[in-house]
Amino acid sequence: MLITQELSRSLPNNIVIQGDEMTRPFECDALSMYQQKPLAVVLPETIDHIKRAIKLCKTNNTPIVTRGAGTGLSGGALPLENSIVLGLSKLNKIISIDPIAQTAIVEPGVRNIAISEAVSEYGLYYAPDPSSQIACTIGGNVAENSGGVHCLKYGLTVHNVVAIKMLTIDGEELILHRNDSGLGLLALMNGSEGLLGVITEITVKLTPKPAAVKLVMAGFEHVRDCANAISNIIKAGIIPAGLEMMDQFAIGAAEDFAHAGYPRDAQALLLCELDGDEVDVQQELDKVLLLLSGASLIKVANNEKERLSLWQGRKSAFPAVGRLSPDYYCMDGTIPRRYLADVLEKISHLSLRYGLRVANVFHAGDGNLHPLILYDANVPDEQQKTEEFGTEILKLCVDVGGSITGEHGVGIEKLNAMCHQFTPAELAIFHQIKDVFDPKALLNPGKAVPTLHRCAELGNMHVHHGELPHPHLERF
Amino acid sequence: MNIERIQQRILDAEKLQIIGNNSQLKSTASNTLDMSPYAGFIGYHPDELVMTVKAGTRITEIKSILEHKGQILPFTVQHNDSATIGGAYSIGSPELRDAVLGVKVIDGQGQILTFGGQVMKNVAGYDVSRLLVGSKGRLVAVCEISFRVLPKAYANTVKTTITPNIDSQSQVRERIEYGLKKVFDPKGIFI
Repeated sequence: MLITQELSRSLPNNIVIQGDEMTRPFECDALSMYQQKPLAVVLPETIDHIKRAIKLCKTNNTPIVTRGAGTGLSGGALPLENSIVLGLSKLNKIISIDPIAQTAIVEPGVRNIAISEAVSEYGLYYAPDPSSQIACTIGGNVAENSGGVHCLKYGLTVHNVVAIKMLTIDGEELILHRNDSGLGLLALMNGSEGLLGVITEITVKLTPKPAAVKLVMAGFEHVRDCANAISNIIKAGIIPAGLEMMDQFAIGAAEDFAHAGYPRDAQALLLCELDGDEVDVQQELDKVLLLLSGASLIKVANNEKERLSLWQGRKSAFPAVGRLSPDYYCMDGTIPRRYLADVLEKISHLSLRYGLRVANVFHAGDGNLHPLILYDANVPDEQQKTEEFGTEILKLCVDVGGSITGEHGVGIEKLNAMCHQFTPAELAIFHQIKDVFDPKALLNPGKAVPTLHRCAELGNMHVHHGELPHPHLERF
Repeated sequence: MNIERIQQRILDAEKLQIIGNNSQLKSTASNTLDMSPYAGFIGYHPDELVMTVKAGTRITEIKSILEHKGQILPFTVQHNDSATIGGAYSIGSPELRDAVLGVKVIDGQGQILTFGGQVMKNVAGYDVSRLLVGSKGRLVAVCEISFRVLPKAYANTVKTTITPNIDSQSQVRERIEYGLKKVFDPKGIFI
């Protein structure tokens, strides 16, 4: 019997979705340049449904691509031709809230923002805030170790998850807690992109809402002055809740779109948000204003309306840039911040060489750079040129000691760039870790870690006397 | 001591116990690899809140360097008069794990491997640098560690007690931990 028939027989009506039309919404995630329809989509309503689906898939050697809301930007939830999609969006209950311990237990399909909304009455919120937070699910956040604009002060998803329940490919339940003795298995699961297990329950840490929030905007005539101002703020012992930077192109695009009052002539714009007790925030604000003395323009939001309006420009930077070009490609490299001005200069050289425009928005506090490359997919070769340009940017990030992805994940998109960041020996370790959890490679196979063969073909691997390293390893 | 010397000791050994300053785990084996001479600072960037040190560096030394720049460690280490950062990493605590950004290690086959980096955000590959916190010297020899630090003003956010571990052994967990031991140390030389 076919796996699709077996699933339909084993699970209640409307849990298993089949057919071209019905599975189309699941053929891609937010990286829509890659599309593939799965054999079927399973939308479980209970943990037992998940267990049954896993069991049948394991018996039939059918790959499983676990999916949250499909907002991922790296193709991590892209189906395979011979896989099912296991969509967890119906598991969307907040199981319990403990305002004293400041934790909440939630199902994986709960939306990120829904947690903050549900705990708001206790003066609490869930701190990590990826820009897709109104739609993305907490299960997806754990799978990607999602970030947001407040990471420098409040951490990534891995810092805000207390415990998870997960199912292994054998259908066994495993509970992982922050305080477990032994290896950091909970940390390993964060950012594992659906390759190691299926997360069924998450205990998140909640954060008290700050009493006061202040936002400062500063414009600079030189990128270097802006980078120096950021360094000086951190050196002065202040950790802003948000520290965002934009280059001139992004400033102009955002201003046209949101009319936030950004200075178009500035080469760099800084948004610095401070939060905490009233007194602390005022003291920090006074210090920050002194440290921003090199700015050509400084504006402090006087009220909540002004604050939100200043943020609006930054938050709409992606769609604003999107208006200027038929297509754009968003990169996600991280760099040690001291190289910021150099990296931006090199990106603008590359931009000239490739003849493609770039807008830069930057989570300056934590070194996470989002260059947006503007292109037109209808122009022959332009998509390929864009991808090459993107790969050059990521290599640049790795070469200064950074990473190819700060928060979007590797997925299917950055497999080639992985060959640049890791040696064959390190990639082999990743494959062996997967093998411990999933020896038949049924959980999201082919994502996140490139095969050694792929890297060798790219020419990034050192081949000695025509022999690949680790000849005993299977290569696909 | 240099990293090639550590690598050679591992390649030559049948059984080897990695030790720091013996402040918490006392050595019992005949063949030990004392990491405490592999000490010193590799990088410290106060304005990026990141420090990279060799594993044998003493916690007290790290604290005094941080003190000069008005910064602190975001975790608490027991017996920190003699403890090394490598030892603290091997014992592990949730707060130390939170602070780790990257490591350079040598596995049981003598391979020098780097995971993570010197940046706050990094989701390329599995988070091996945090996985190995608490590995008690049984999977790899930890050689270099990058971690985040905090301004002094945030001292009240740092837990001053050691978080007690939950002993959560289960068959599945045991099997996975055993499998991971085999990944990093297939010949079982680290005891």
